[in-house]
Parts: sequence; structure tokens; C-alpha cells
Amino acid sequence: MPAAEDVKSSWADEVELEGGSLPPSTEVFEHGFKIVTDYKYNDDDKKVKFVRTYKIEKRAVSKSIALRKTWKKFGECATDKPGPNPATTIAAEDVYMQYITSKEEDNKQEDDGMDKLKAMGDKNVVKCRTCNGDHWTSKCPWKDTMLAGGKVPDDKKNAGVAGTTAGPTGGDTGKQGSKYVPPSMRDGASKRGDGPNMPRRDDSYCAIRIANLSDSTTESDLEDLVKPFGPIQKLYLAKDKVTGQCKGFAYIHFKFRNDAATAISVLDGYGYDYLILSVDWSKPSPNQ
Amino acid sequence: MKPIMLQGHERAITQIKYNREGDLLFSSSKDNKPNVWFSLNGERLGTFNGHQGAVWCIDVDWTTTRFMSGAGDNTFKIWDCATGKEIGNISTASSVRTCMFSYSANMAVYTTDRAMKQPCEMFIIDTRLVDDSISNQAPILRIPIKDARISSILWDNVDESIISGHENGEITQWDLKTGRQINSVKEHSLLINDMQWNKDGTMFITASKDHTAKLFDAKDLLLLKTYKTERPVNSAAISPIFEHVVVGGGQDAMDVTTTSARVGKFDSRFFHMVFEEEFGRVKGHFGPINSVAFHPDGKSYSSGGEDGFIRVHTFDSSYFEYNFDY
Repeated sequence: MPAAEDVKSSWADEVELEGGSLPPSTEVFEHGFKIVTDYKYNDDDKKVKFVRTYKIEKRAVSKSIALRKTWKKFGECATDKPGPNPATTIAAEDVYMQYITSKEEDNKQEDDGMDKLKAMGDKNVVKCRTCNGDHWTSKCPWKDTMLAGGKVPDDKKNAGVAGTTAGPTGGDTGKQGSKYVPPSMRDGASKRGDGPNMPRRDDSYCAIRIANLSDSTTESDLEDLVKPFGPIQKLYLAKDKVTGQCKGFAYIHFKFRNDAATAISVLDGYGYDYLILSVDWSKPSPNQ
Repeated sequence: MKPIMLQGHERAITQIKYNREGDLLFSSSKDNKPNVWFSLNGERLGTFNGHQGAVWCIDVDWTTTRFMSGAGDNTFKIWDCATGKEIGNISTASSVRTCMFSYSANMAVYTTDRAMKQPCEMFIIDTRLVDDSISNQAPILRIPIKDARISSILWDNVDESIISGHENGEITQWDLKTGRQINSVKEHSLLINDMQWNKDGTMFITASKDHTAKLFDAKDLLLLKTYKTERPVNSAAISPIFEHVVVGGGQDAMDVTTTSARVGKFDSRFFHMVFEEEFGRVKGHFGPINSVAFHPDGKSYSSGGEDGFIRVHTFDSSYFEYNFDY
């Protein structure tokens, strides 16, 4: 019927037809891979091409297993094609086994703490409030001879304990009187030379603050991130007490200021774990 | 490793089990269709359609010819593995909680829950010939359980005795010739959710709601090791090739919605069997893990969770190279 061929549906129908017909799916076998190409519409009505690549492996198995491989599918999947059905079998994201070694590190830290304490044990951990000697206040030899103001008479002190220097509160240092003087401001202590105008710690020069970290950041992630810039003195990651998740910022103390500067220049604005980091010098809090 | 995620179930997974060779993985869930999968590529071989309620327990015999399942619809069914056809059906008075084929598969055991004024009972049935007549057949042995119900079960000593784990944390060994209990210990304080053999059947591991998994000597029920966690343990398995134990659990299903997946402990946790120390974790599920199983070759393991997914993990080389520091 040649006439029938001439009769065409309206252009609108044609457009719809074109839109409705997708290229058929193809299966190609090459180099031990099976490549399946499908076409589908996505939510925006756009054509999407799906390419799935399967690796074909040959394995020698026992007869019983080989026999089971020939069993026909039954039940809900009786109509499935050979091979995994993507509706029920999905290759999940990569996961890794996290090996737990933290236990040893914890022990080490405790040991360090103990060592420090032990080392300190030789020095003045115990200090008498009356005469500043290396003993408890209650065991002070001057306990009985204490004056009303809690001071030891100078003559007795010098006579009794040779080598014990007069404590800052002990002698008549004049102006201070009985007013409380913080330890750092006392006569003996002020020789360190850092006045209130000087920064407390030199290392704050080399400290940087990294902000806008993602929740899932861990200390080891952070270490990996900043290690390339140079040796690190201290690394602090703010974490939530309950959940243990990162609170979004961290402080890194570098050994050298130069390293810290390069770290800032490189990492500021660096995209890390879907967020953009903001990195700057760590500013001391204003009340310090 | 890249796990294969199996999404054949609509509800929480209750149990997963490999067959003897490990080429098939059987799974059951609180929906009513147990599934069977090829463990190598995650292809689904079939579903066993016929139950009306949540399927609580499954087992497969050593030749992978018959599969059985017990469900909350008060039935216990035996199926043909190759075709998925139901070949035997037994109606019970209450829901079937546990079931297992004996090693030879000449017998099977199943237990029913204490519910609707029915006591918890243990039934031993003859499964040498399974056909329609099995529903009228009297069981070989029928043991009523007076106190706490049975929540997990194992055949012991090549079909001669049975070990049952109870709701109150007791473990009891039963002699099948006399039908009496031989031995009983109470090392757990709460329900024992799962018990699994080691490879040679000399030891078994229990998983309990009291946050621990414990390793027992099968001969005299001697407690050997304890693996402690912070959450209820739903399932535990022993590696057939290493001295490793995998433990799966998480908080109770009722608390899940109030806990985020990151804080909730939904990881599979690997313990060293001897030193009782945790050495590794694998994340992935976003609900508590209800069942774990090692592949009989020890090179992969699977876990099924309250989230309804089964994840088949094939170990990386790092797992095989890992040496436990002691």
C-alpha cells in the first residue's frame, strides 16, 4: 500500500515519537569485560547514558557448586536475566577496615605523664605556706612559733634552717604588706622577664588556626593535611565532648614560623572534604 | 574493600547463613520471603515464597538440597533449594524462633516461642524423607521448656546432643537419647541472640543483649573468652582461618531513631579471639547489625542489618597481612 506510506502523522506526534524512542541497550564483550550501555530518562526528562562495565572472571569450582550455578532462578526473581539484577544487587561504596591501634598510644601518653610527675617529684611539689620549705604546712618546724600574721620571726628562721631563703611573704618587703601578690609578680618570680605586655608563649607565633573543617575530620586527617609543610609541635582539634566529632576548627603549632606561613598561604581557601578552609594566624584571646 | 549490597528484603534482616561450600548465602527477614544469593557476585538465585509472617530462623543442610525456615505465622517449612518449592510444612502452636539441621541432616530441631498460653517447646523431627506427610508425623522428641524460652540453638557432638541459648542468658546442653538436660551454665545476664560454631565444632560463640559475646568450650560449656562492647550484641562469628571473631550489634531497634548513625555503633567489630582485644572495625550499616556470618573460606564475611540490607565484604589484602601486636 504505497499510499499508506505517504500518510504521515502530524509533526507533533513525530516529535513525541522521537523523544520516546531511546537507543536500544547494547552489550559488548571485549578483553574479559562486559560493557552494557543503557539509555534512560532522568528526572529532568533528559536522556542519560548508563555504561556499566563488568569484569568477567573464570574460576574453577567443585562439581556441586558448578551444578548450583546452573540452577534456574525462582520466586521473585524468576524473570531476572542472568547476572546480578541491579535492582537488588548494588556495589556499595568502598569501605575500609579501621585498624585500632590507639590503645598503645594512650598508654604511652600516660607513661609520659607519669615520667613527668616522677621527674617533678624531686623538686618542690610540696611547699610550706609558712616558710616555703619542702614540706607540708602542718609539718613546718616553725608551726609552733608562728606569729599572729602567719609569719615566722626572721631571727629564728635564719638560725634554724640554713639555706632556706626568706620567702616572698616572709620578710618585711615594705610596700606589699599583707596584700595578696600573685606568684608571678612576687620578687623571686619576676626575673623571668616576661612582663604583661609580652606574649606568653613564643610558639603562638607559629600557631595557625584552621576553620571550616567538616564534622568528620579526625586528628590523623589533620595531621596528613599539615604534615607536608613542616614539623609540628602541637596539634589541637576541637571536638564535641559527647559525640567526639570535630567542631569545625583546629589549632596547629608549627616548629618554625616559615612553615606556618606557607601553610596559611596554601591552605587558606583550600577545598577540603566539600568545605573551603579558612586558615589564619592563631590570635591570642584578648584577655591574655 | 568494595562491599556488595543486597537489597532483596523489605524489612529488617533476621538471619543470614552460608551453605557449607559458601557459594550460596541464605537470608531471612521480617518480611515473609527468605532469599538465596550467589555470594560471589551478589546475584539473587531466588526467593522462597509461602510464609505469611516474619521469618525468624533459617538453615540449610550440608548438601544444599534442602532449606528450612521458621516464621511468626506459626509454621515451619522445608524447601527444595534448587527450585524454591515448598516440600514440607508443619503447623505449630506459636511462632518458630530457632531451627537447625543436624550435621547429617537426618534430623532437624526447631523451637517455638512461649506465647498465647503455649509453653516454649523444642521439637526434634526426622527429616530423612520430607514430603506432605511430614505435617502429620509425630516428632522424635518433644521437650517442653519450663522457664526462659530458647532464643538460639546448635546441634552438638555430631547429632547426639543439642545446645540451647535462653532468654535469661542460660546455656543448656541436652542429651537426645534421654531427652534430659546434661549441663547448664549461666554466664550471660540477658537474652542470647545467636550462637555459632567455630570451624571444627569444638568451641562456639554466643552473642547476648548484655553487651558481650562469649566463647565457650562445647564439651563442658566452659567459658573461655569474653568480648566486651558498649552495645547489645546481636550476632558473632568465628573466622575459619584466623583467630578472629567478628561481632555485630548496635542499640535496640526502638532506640535507633533517636541516635545518629555516626554515634550509634553500627560497625562490625573484629576482635582477636585469644586476646579479647578489638583490632578493627568495618562501617556501613545504618541500623544495628542483626546477623553476621563468615564465608567458610574465611576470605569474606557478610552482615545483615536492621536497615534491611545485607552487605557482602571481601577482605582486602591488608586484612590478611595484618598482624596483631601483643
